[in-house]
Amino acid sequence: MILFEAKTQEQTQTDTLTEPKLEGLWKVVVLNDPVNLMSYVVMVFRKVFGFDETRARKHMMEVHERGRSVVWVGQREQAEAYAHTLQQWHLTTVLESDEAH
Amino acid sequence: MKRIEVKLSVDVVAPLLDVVRETADTLRDTVSPAVRTDDMDLEMREAWVEDLLAGQRSDLDVLLGLFGDEFFKDGSIVFDSENADAVLRASAAVRLHLRSHGLQGVDEEQLESGAVEIESLPEAARRPFVCYLFLATLQELIIQHLNPASPEI
Repeated sequence: MILFEAKTQEQTQTDTLTEPKLEGLWKVVVLNDPVNLMSYVVMVFRKVFGFDETRARKHMMEVHERGRSVVWVGQREQAEAYAHTLQQWHLTTVLESDEAH
Repeated sequence: MKRIEVKLSVDVVAPLLDVVRETADTLRDTVSPAVRTDDMDLEMREAWVEDLLAGQRSDLDVLLGLFGDEFFKDGSIVFDSENADAVLRASAAVRLHLRSHGLQGVDEEQLESGAVEIESLPEAARRPFVCYLFLATLQELIIQHLNPASPEI
């Protein structure tokens, strides 16, 4: 699931083109679902992000137990690309702005 | 190329393929429940969904392609590195759809553990439930034996 939960920030065209860092950081958040196998979720995290088994399993358990896990933080364009890939693998994914940055 | 060949009972699996085909027909024009685009603007939503649907259709074709003449001859299907990802994704899509349609009345914990008495389910939910478990088994086989977790990005 892609939900742009942050308020849209007004930016000049110059900001967008030359200073992408001003856009802030975005979190890729995977939400729990009752269907996908734990082994499947671990495999997808390893495949998409290149996580090792331990890290992938940690994120999977976080999704399973807390209902969500932040699996990546970075620029919006890359965050969207990751979210799209995760949705191709049928993991429910949202983007949230990292307002702390 | 690493591959695994699995022998299945045609009598048991063939009726489940009707469920897979029916679901696949729906999923040709419908993204899986994992995809929600409520807050996207129209242009982005259309492009996003169309791209996901194209991939989903392709994946479903690969899954259904496993069950061709060879399967009906001797019950064998083959997984390899060429079809593994598509079968995994298509199975996930079908399972998610079954969960939210044919199996919405089944208790979540029971469904997750697979500990459901078939006879306790309504008649209409029995075949979708067995199909749901069957596709999970295919996913487990691929994950355990083909180790498809190498990074793609």
